[in-house]
Amino acid sequence: MKRSQAEIIREYGPFPDVKNVGGITYDGRNVWLAGGATLNALDPESGETVRKIDVAADAGTAFDGEFLWQIAEARIQKIDPKSGRVVATIPAPGGGGDSGLAWGEGTLWVGQYRERKIHQIDPETGKILRTIESKRFVTGVSWVDGELWHGTWEGDESDIRRIDPETGEVLQQIDMPAGTAVSGLEADGADRFYCGGGNSSKVRAVRRPR
Amino acid sequence: MDSLITAAARALAAGDPLGALKRVALREDAPALALRGIAMAQLGELERAKLLLRRAARTFGSKEAVARARCIVAEAEVALASRDLGWPAQMLDQARAVLEEHGDRANAAHARYLAVRRLLLIGRLDEAEASLKDLDPTHLPPALRTAHELVVAGIAMRRIDTKTARAALARAERAADFTHIPPLMAEVESAALLLDAPAARLISRGEERPLLLDDVEALFTSKALIIDACRHAVRDRHSVVSLATRPVLFALARVLAEAWPKDVARDVLLARAFGAKHADESHRARLRVEIGRLRRMLHRHARISATERGFVLEPAKAQEVMVLARPVEEKHASVLAFLADGESWSSSALALALGASQRSVQRALEELAQANKVQFYGRGRARRWTSPPVPGFTTTLLLPAPLASD
Repeated sequence: MKRSQAEIIREYGPFPDVKNVGGITYDGRNVWLAGGATLNALDPESGETVRKIDVAADAGTAFDGEFLWQIAEARIQKIDPKSGRVVATIPAPGGGGDSGLAWGEGTLWVGQYRERKIHQIDPETGKILRTIESKRFVTGVSWVDGELWHGTWEGDESDIRRIDPETGEVLQQIDMPAGTAVSGLEADGADRFYCGGGNSSKVRAVRRPR
Repeated sequence: MDSLITAAARALAAGDPLGALKRVALREDAPALALRGIAMAQLGELERAKLLLRRAARTFGSKEAVARARCIVAEAEVALASRDLGWPAQMLDQARAVLEEHGDRANAAHARYLAVRRLLLIGRLDEAEASLKDLDPTHLPPALRTAHELVVAGIAMRRIDTKTARAALARAERAADFTHIPPLMAEVESAALLLDAPAARLISRGEERPLLLDDVEALFTSKALIIDACRHAVRDRHSVVSLATRPVLFALARVLAEAWPKDVARDVLLARAFGAKHADESHRARLRVEIGRLRRMLHRHARISATERGFVLEPAKAQEVMVLARPVEEKHASVLAFLADGESWSSSALALALGASQRSVQRALEELAQANKVQFYGRGRARRWTSPPVPGFTTTLLLPAPLASD
């Protein structure tokens, strides 16, 4: 297993109306962050909030190329970013104990926080297709270039780790500095991860190792 | 943090404890227990809140040390709000140390203020003051700055230092305005009202007038000889003689002071000090003994000379003699005189000091409590009594967020 220290490239926020960054995704242009009562789009260049959608946004966020997916309480909402409307809802596999959401291989991947699990579910029905066990509390989940990454926060420590989607084995680990939580994770497809910073109301860009 | 916990925390922050409970009512994991505990505390269900927070702390365990420490601090605050001082103070200290170690400065400071308020509650003013000295509120959140100033004001008012109390309350008011927490703002306001309400009544040369705490303070540094019926003491600006355990001597001193510069007839002294309706020779003998005792106790402050019909008070240095009485003369003044020192008392200790039966002292305390003139904390044999609240004494449940990550 490769292990390294996180290199924080840039910090965004704190955002005045966001108490807790619950989830993070990236639509190719903007970073979306789940801020409790709104989904906020952040321009990663300027650091400005360029858009807000009024929708309950408590935990993980994902983008499938067309729609945003957002965990709220015990359900997952499918949101049309053009209209801001919720177009479909499926039950969350953890019944509300869910944290972390990613789109990958045509399915949704959902973290179940304290159960230390990641579920692959059918985005039409919410049915669990399979479950991967992690060793740590699961926060953000992200697929990038065929790699499954997830954030952890446990025992007051946080890291970003790549796991084998078949076995759950940890392949690579990036340790966050002490006191820095990862509460949502998304790769930008290039050289960086965007990480939600929990109650700090910050978003951090962390260099993605090559 | 997971989805429902976030949603519940959001509801709590928005002042909707029922909405929070609805979301996590059936969950038994540590963050859910903590949120349920805090919601219950906000709903006034303090006993249930304590149990839930204790279970949450246990469930978080040593691995999630910060979350666990926050639960312990929250439980301590609920305990303080319910006047249950049975919780172990050293657990709060340990929790504070963990929070400090992990850089959670705001919650660590919150823990410190709970400890200081507890000291104030149990009447350990010196220790409370010493702990406050180590605390610099400058960089704390407004709610904690308010708590700091309320404790400073509370100690100052107990010590009759109104200048310090006023300055602290002015700072408390400014800090409270930033919090937007109505109960906290109301607490500051009611503390300020205490300072502007009559604190005592001055009786001098047959006239009476109400005094504010400022006036009392000024009086204590004046050149007058003061017979203090609030604390059953005789004082000038140099020294104080407590007569709290000598009710007969105090009654005599007060009658003599109220009549000053005139003398008081023996019959009047007998009637007021012993309740004797018809004075006989044995009463007169007893009066001589008690006057002799009072002379010895007050020898530095005044002489007590015999006159043709009775006795007269002659202050040694003071030019004026004044009686300081409670704003409204009431029953059980001697009980109140003991509690006026700001210490906490058990009813058995009060009975011993007053030479009365514990049952009658308990009855007096219960009557006074109903009139809001005294209050108690603790249960059964551990029950302690103190005089009415001063600022910094109550807690408005500012419970630390137990779940915050980062």
